[in-house]
Amino acid sequence: MTLLAFARGPALQAALLIMIAGIFWRLAGIFLLPPRAQHAAPRHSLAGRIGGGALMIVSRFIPHHTFWPRVAMSVVLSTTFHLGLAIILLGGAPHILLIHQVTGLTWPGLPKGLIVISSGLTLASMIVLLIRRITHPVLRMLSTVDDYLSWLLVFLPVLTGILLAGETIGGYGTLLALHILSVELMMVWLPFGKLMHGALVFAGRWGMGMNFARKGAAT
Amino acid sequence: MDDRETMTETLCAMLARRGFGRRSLLQFAIAMTSSLALPPSVAPVMAANLAKAKRRSVIWLSFQECTGCLETLLRSSSPTIDSLIFDFISLDYQEALMAAAGDAAERTLREAVAANKGQYLLAIDGSIPIKDGGVYSLTGGRSNVEMLAEIATNARAVLAIGTCAAYGGIPKAYPNPTGAVGVDDLVSGKPIVNIPGCPPVPEVLSGVLVHFISFGRLPDLDDRKRPLAYFGTTIHDQCYRRPFYDQGKFAKSFDDAGARQGWCLFELGCKGPTTHNACASLKWNGGASFPIESGHGCLGCSEPDFWDAGGFYTPLAGGSPPGWRNAGIAAAVGVAAGAAAALAARGRAASARHKAGPSPEETP
Amino acid sequence: MSSDAKAAAPPAEVPNAGQVAAAVRGFIADIGPTVALALSSCVHCGRCAEACQFYVQTGDPRYTPIHKVEPFRRAYEREVGPFAFAYRLLGLAPKITPDELARWQELIYDSCNMCGRCSLICPMGIDIAELVERARHGMFAAGLAAADFLGVLAEKEHATGSPFGLVRSQFEDMLHAVGRDHGVVMNVDKGTADIVPTVSSIDVKMYPASMAAIAKVLNHMGASWTFRTDGFDADNVSLTAGDRAGQRKITLGIVKAALACDANTVVMPECGHSFTEMRWEAANAFGEALPFRVLQITELIAEGLSVGRIRVNKVPHSATYHDACQLSRRGGATAAPRVILEALGVELHEMEDAGATNWCCGGGGGVALIKRAQPLMDKAFEIKQRQIEVTGVATIYTSCSGCRQTLEHGGKARNWNKTVASLLELVADNLKD
Repeated sequence: MTLLAFARGPALQAALLIMIAGIFWRLAGIFLLPPRAQHAAPRHSLAGRIGGGALMIVSRFIPHHTFWPRVAMSVVLSTTFHLGLAIILLGGAPHILLIHQVTGLTWPGLPKGLIVISSGLTLASMIVLLIRRITHPVLRMLSTVDDYLSWLLVFLPVLTGILLAGETIGGYGTLLALHILSVELMMVWLPFGKLMHGALVFAGRWGMGMNFARKGAAT
Repeated sequence: MDDRETMTETLCAMLARRGFGRRSLLQFAIAMTSSLALPPSVAPVMAANLAKAKRRSVIWLSFQECTGCLETLLRSSSPTIDSLIFDFISLDYQEALMAAAGDAAERTLREAVAANKGQYLLAIDGSIPIKDGGVYSLTGGRSNVEMLAEIATNARAVLAIGTCAAYGGIPKAYPNPTGAVGVDDLVSGKPIVNIPGCPPVPEVLSGVLVHFISFGRLPDLDDRKRPLAYFGTTIHDQCYRRPFYDQGKFAKSFDDAGARQGWCLFELGCKGPTTHNACASLKWNGGASFPIESGHGCLGCSEPDFWDAGGFYTPLAGGSPPGWRNAGIAAAVGVAAGAAAALAARGRAASARHKAGPSPEETP
Repeated sequence: MSSDAKAAAPPAEVPNAGQVAAAVRGFIADIGPTVALALSSCVHCGRCAEACQFYVQTGDPRYTPIHKVEPFRRAYEREVGPFAFAYRLLGLAPKITPDELARWQELIYDSCNMCGRCSLICPMGIDIAELVERARHGMFAAGLAAADFLGVLAEKEHATGSPFGLVRSQFEDMLHAVGRDHGVVMNVDKGTADIVPTVSSIDVKMYPASMAAIAKVLNHMGASWTFRTDGFDADNVSLTAGDRAGQRKITLGIVKAALACDANTVVMPECGHSFTEMRWEAANAFGEALPFRVLQITELIAEGLSVGRIRVNKVPHSATYHDACQLSRRGGATAAPRVILEALGVELHEMEDAGATNWCCGGGGGVALIKRAQPLMDKAFEIKQRQIEVTGVATIYTSCSGCRQTLEHGGKARNWNKTVASLLELVADNLKD
C-alpha cells in the first residue's frame, strides 16, 4: 500500500475513530461526575443565564480594559494564530471538499493567495508563540511536554499544507501523504492533551457565563 | 523475402522496404530523442544506431491480464514508424498474436529462449497470482509464477507492461482473492522496467524499445523503475487545465457550467496531481485526447493500488473516513469508558470522604 | 524584587505521609463537573499571571494563579480524572510529595486573595479563584492551613462560632454597650423580625461604630429587625482557611437564626467573603432555596433609597470608592455603592479600572491574617496606592471592613494623609430624620 493510500485510508479511519472515542471519553469522564446543585436565588432568569453563557463564549476573546497592556501581545499572537488557522481550514478549497464529503455541506472557498498569506501569518505567529513560551518565565515554568508536542502537531500540518499548496518543494503525492498523516497524528493526540481545549473552551466559557450571570458577577 | 533474411535485416533496410527513407528515420530519431528527454545532439547518433540495428528478440508472456495492454499497443491509426518498431522487434512469443497454439506454442517458447539466451527482452503483461500455489492463472497447466521464474532467468531485462504487471493492478484490488502481485515482487537480479498505465500509453513502450535498440541499454528509471522520460512528471504538471486549478475554478459536477467551460476536475476526483504518466503531453489515440480533455478526471491508473485509493470520484482532498455508523460506535465506546471512569471517580471520592471522618454536617 | 517576598515566607513544616494522603482526600472529595472541567482546561497561556497583583508586583512566576492549584490538579487527574488509570499506570501525574505540599502552602494561602481577577481574564473560562478555595479544603484537611492568625482564628471559630471565641452573652453585652455609646436603639434576640442583620468579626474588634450604623439605618427605615446572637458573626474565617465543616457551621447558624425568627431578609455586613458565602453558598449548605432574601448592606441601602424608605442629606465632597472583590466582581453588587454615593451628593472620582475589574486591596481571602505574608501584601498594595493617588482625592470609601483595615494599614505604612471610611457609616451619619 502506498503511503498516500495508507494516509487516506486505514490511517484516516484509525485516527478519526481514536479521536472520536477519546473526545467522548474525556467529556463523559468530566460531565458524568456528580453535579453540585445550586439553590441560591439567581439574579437573572434562566433565559438571562443562558444568554450569559452564550455571551461569554464570545466576550472572552477580548480581555477587559484593565488587563490590556499586559496581555495585548498574547492576545494579538493567539488571535492571529487561531484566525489564520480558521481561515485556512474553513476557507481552503481542499478542506471544504473534505467537509463536503463527510457532511454534505459546502460553501465557496477563498482565493488561494489569501490562504497562502494566512498560512504564512499562522506559521509566523506560531514561531513567535514558541519563542515566547520558551523565554517568558511564567510560560516556561508552566509548560510541559504536552505544550511543545501540541505545538509541533499543529505546526506540521500548517507547514506541510503551505508547502503542498505552493507545489514547489517535494512531490505532490509525498507532501499530501505527509500532510494528511501529520493531521492524523494531531487527531490521535487531541483528546489527551491541551488540544482538547478546542472542545472544552465552549463548555468552560458557557459554564462560567451561566454561573456568573446567575450571580450578576463580572464577566 | 524469407524468414532468415528478415531476421538479419537492419531497421534501415526494413524501413526502406516500407517506403521510409533515411530522412524519415532522422526525423523519427529527433522526435524520439525529444520524447525520451534526451539532448538534441543525441538524435543523429540514435538515427545512425537505429539504421544499423538488428532485430531484437522479445518474448511476451501474458499472465493474469485483460489483454487491454496488448490491444492498446496494437492500435495504430496510421502506419507510423512507432508502430513499425513493433514490426521490427522479433516478437518470438505472444499467445494472443501468434498462430501456434498448444504444444506447438510451447515448443516455440522453448526454442526462442534457447536461441536468444541472455539477449531477449521479456515483456510481461498481467499480474501474477501467487495464492494457493499460483493455481489461479495457468498456461498449459503451468502457473505464471513458475513460468516467470523460468523465463526471466535468461532474459536480458524484464519489461512489466501495464499496471497489473508493474504493481498488481486490478486483480490486486481488495480483497485480492488470487494473491496478485507485480513482476517486481517476484523477479530479482534482473533489470526491470515498469511501464504502468491501465493501459499504458503506446508511445511509451516504443520509446523504451527505441532506446534499447539504439543504445543497447534501458532508459533512466525513477524510484518506481519507470522511464523517467515519460513518468518523471505528473499529469497535473502537464495538464492544459492547470490554469483553472491555480485560479480555483473547479467543476462541481459533471456537465455543470464549469465543466462545460473545461474547468479543473480536481473536485470530481481527478488524481492528476499524484499520477505520473505522459497522458497529458503525449495523449491517446495518436494525440487525439486524454481523459481530462474528454471531461473525466484522471483515475491515476499508472500508480500502484489506484483501484483501492478511496474511489475515483473522491477528490484527493478527501479519503475513506470511517462512516457514521463506526463513528457512532467509537463515540459510544468513548462514553462508556468515560462513564466507567466517572463511576470509579465517584467511588474514590466517596471513599475519600468516608476516610476523612464521618461528620453529620457534611453534605454527601 | 522577588527575593523580599520569598524570604518573608518560610516554608511550612513538611507534612508526613498521612497528612499528604489527607490532603489528596480533601482535594478529591468534592469534585463535580465544573471543577473537573476547570482543572482540565488550562492551556498554559500565562494570562492569569498578568491579572494577579502578586505576580504583577513581584515578577515571581510561582504566583501564576493556575500554578497555585497544581497539586490539586494533579490529584484530580491521578485519582478521579477520565484517564486516571493511565495517569497512574504511566506515571503522568506524579504523586504529590510532602515537600511540594509544604512549598505550596504559601502559594495557596499567602499569595491569593481569591479576588477573581484571574477568573475574569482566563480565556478558557476557568474560575481559578474558586479552584484556590477548593484547594484550601485539601490543605486544611492535611493540617496545612497557613498558621498565624488565619489558622488560629479558624480553629476558634469552628469550636465556638466566633473567631475570637466570644460567646452569646458576650455578644449581647457588647451590642448593648455599643448602643449606649452611640445613642442607638439595639434590638437583640427578638423572637420575630423581618430583617436579621449580621456583623463581621473585624467590625467587632475594630469598627464597633459600624454595628451602631446598621442599627441606625434599620431604625430609620422603621423596619422590624433584630440582631440574633445565635447567628451573629458572619465573617466565616473558616471559609478562607479551607475548613468546610467550620464554614458550614457558621453559615447554618445564621440560617437557623433567621428561620427561628421568621425573617424575610438577612443583611450581610460590610464584608466581602461573608456576602459571597451567605448569598451564594448558604442555600447549598441548607439543601434548598432559602426562605429569605440575602442582601449586602449596600444593596439594602440602595434599595431603600430608591423606594424612599431611606432618606439622606447631601454631603458634597470629593472621594473615591474601592470595590471589594467579593461584593463587586464576584458578587454582583457593583452598582449599589454608587447609587448611595450619588444620593449623598459625593463627588466621585473613580479610580482607573474601578468597578468590577478593580484591583484587590491585597488583604482579602485571609491574607491579611497571615503575618508572614505582610511583605507580599504590602507589595500588592502599591497598585492600590497608585490608583488612589492618581484620583487626587483624600477620602476613600469602601464597603468591606477587611478592605478598610488593609487600606488603613497600607496607608499608615506610607504615612499618607488620606482617610479610609465606611460607606455604611457615612450613610448612618447623614440620615435625614
